[in-house]
Amino acid sequence: MIDEVEVIGVGMHPFGRFSDSSLKDLARVATVQALTDAGIGTRDIDVVYSSNAMGGMLQGQEMVRGQAVMREVGIERIPIVNVENACAGGSTALRQAILEIAAGAAEIVLAVGFEKMFVNDRTRTLDALQSAADVDVVRGAGLQFTAVYGMRLRKMLAEGTIRGEDLVEVSVKSHACGALNPYAQHQKEVTPEEVRAAPMIADPLTLLMTSSICDGAAAVVVARRGALKVDRPRVRFRSSRGASGFTPLPEGQPTLSEQNVTAAYEAAGLGPGDVDVAEVHDAMAPAELLAYEQLGFCEKGGAGALLAAGTTSITGAKPVNPSGGLSSRGHPVGATGLAQIAELTWQLRGEAGARQVGNEPRIALAHNSGGWLEGESAANNIHILERIDSWT
Amino acid sequence: MDLTPALDAELTGSRPRVDREAQALVGSRCSVCNTPSWPARAVCNRCGSAALRTEVFAGSGVLITHTTAHVPLAGLAAPYMLGQVQLDANGPLVFGLIEGLPPDADVPRSVRTVVSAEGAVPPYRFHDR
Ligand SMILES: [Zn+2]
Repeated sequence: MIDEVEVIGVGMHPFGRFSDSSLKDLARVATVQALTDAGIGTRDIDVVYSSNAMGGMLQGQEMVRGQAVMREVGIERIPIVNVENACAGGSTALRQAILEIAAGAAEIVLAVGFEKMFVNDRTRTLDALQSAADVDVVRGAGLQFTAVYGMRLRKMLAEGTIRGEDLVEVSVKSHACGALNPYAQHQKEVTPEEVRAAPMIADPLTLLMTSSICDGAAAVVVARRGALKVDRPRVRFRSSRGASGFTPLPEGQPTLSEQNVTAAYEAAGLGPGDVDVAEVHDAMAPAELLAYEQLGFCEKGGAGALLAAGTTSITGAKPVNPSGGLSSRGHPVGATGLAQIAELTWQLRGEAGARQVGNEPRIALAHNSGGWLEGESAANNIHILERIDSWT
Repeated sequence: MDLTPALDAELTGSRPRVDREAQALVGSRCSVCNTPSWPARAVCNRCGSAALRTEVFAGSGVLITHTTAHVPLAGLAAPYMLGQVQLDANGPLVFGLIEGLPPDADVPRSVRTVVSAEGAVPPYRFHDR
C-alpha cells in the first residue's frame, strides 16, 4: 500500500548555472545529501530510478544515463532504471520508486533527477526542449513552452477569469519566496514595475514571469515503513497518481491536471481543503494561478482573489510554492519533480528555514507536469504527502 | 472491436496531411464515434475503433487563443505568432503559426488555413479570414 511508503531522505544540488559541474557532479551532491539525510550509505539502496530529460541531446549520453552518473557515487550492480518524462520525469521516477516498494520488491529506493541545460549554445537547449512534444506534428511550427503557457493564459485573460495584474503579482510572490531559498536559481526580490517592464517573452509573459535555463539535481530516498529507525518527524505518501496527456474532445472536458488530482484526492480520501502546503508546476509564475483552479484551491475565476488575500503566501493558510516554484527555484527539467518533494518534506518536518510555512502543515501536495500534446501536457503526476507525527 | 485494419494502415509518411487545392488540412475521422484527428491516426483516440477514414477538413476555423513569441528559434525569426485553431465543421483542434494578425487581436475570431509550398516546414499556417 502507498501509505506504507515513507520519505526518509531528501537532498538537492542548488539550482542555477554551474558551468564547471558535470551531470555526475550535480547528481553526486543531491544523492549524497539525500543518503546523509536518511542516515544510510550507498549499499543500503536496493534500486535507483534515475530521471533526466536532455542528456542525450545536450551531453551525448543518450543511453544508460543513470548507470553512468551513479558510478560517480559508487552505486552499481543494483537495478538502475532510466526514466524520461520531460518536465515530469522527476515525479515519474518517484512514482516508480514508491510502486516498487508497495509491490514488495524493495525496501529502500533512491529516486534521483539531474539536468544540465546550460551548454555552449542556447539554441541547442531550445531545440532539445522542443522535443518535449510530438515532433512529427509540431516540427517547424515554432513550439516554445513559454508560448504554450502564453496561449493558456491569454485564454483566461480573454475569458476574464484572471487580470493582467494577477500575472504580475504572482510573479512578485514567486521571486519573494525564491529570495528566501538558498537552493533557488533566482534569489532576488522583484517589484511589480520590474516584472511589467521586463522584456516580453511570449505575450502576456515577460522575462521575470518565466523559468530559465537551469542546471541542478534533486534526490529522494523512499523506504517501506519500519525499514529504518527514524528519529525525526516522519513523512509518508497518501497518494501517487500518474497520467498522460490526451487530445482534447471537441465538447470539452476537465483538464489533465483536474482529472489526475481528482483521482489522487479520491485515492487518499482527502480533498483540496485538506491540503496545507503545495508545490505546483509553475514553469511560468502565472501558471500558479491556473493550478489554484485545477487543484481545487478556488472556484473558476477565483485565482486572483485567492492570491490577493494572501492565502497562498508563506504566512497564509494554504501556502503554495514556498520554495519559489519552478519560476524562481529554477527548472532543471528532470530534477524538478524531486525538488518539489524535497521542499515539501522540509516543510512538513519544519526544516525549511526562512521560508518555513507558518501553519504547521500536515498534508502536502506536489503537482508536476511535462511536455505538450497540442492542447494538454503530455505527462502529469500528483503526489500527496502526510506528516505522521503531530506537531506538538 | 476489430483492430486488424490498423495493421494495414498506410505508412504515416505516406498519409496526406494537406490538400493544396482545397487549402485545407487532411486527417482522419472515426467512422464509429466521429472524432477527428490531425494528422491521421490508425486507431481512434476516443473509442478505440480502427475504422477510420481520410477526411479533408474545413479550410476555415476559429482562433481560440494566441501568443506572440519574442524568442527566435532555429529557422524562425522573432517575433512570430502561434495559436490554437478549432477547425470548422467539427474538425480537430490544431496548433500552428498565425500570420497577418496584430499581437493584440481579439479572440475568438475566424481564420483560414493556408497550405505552405511543397515540402516546406511547417506544412500550413493560418491567416485572418
Ligand atoms: Zn472513435
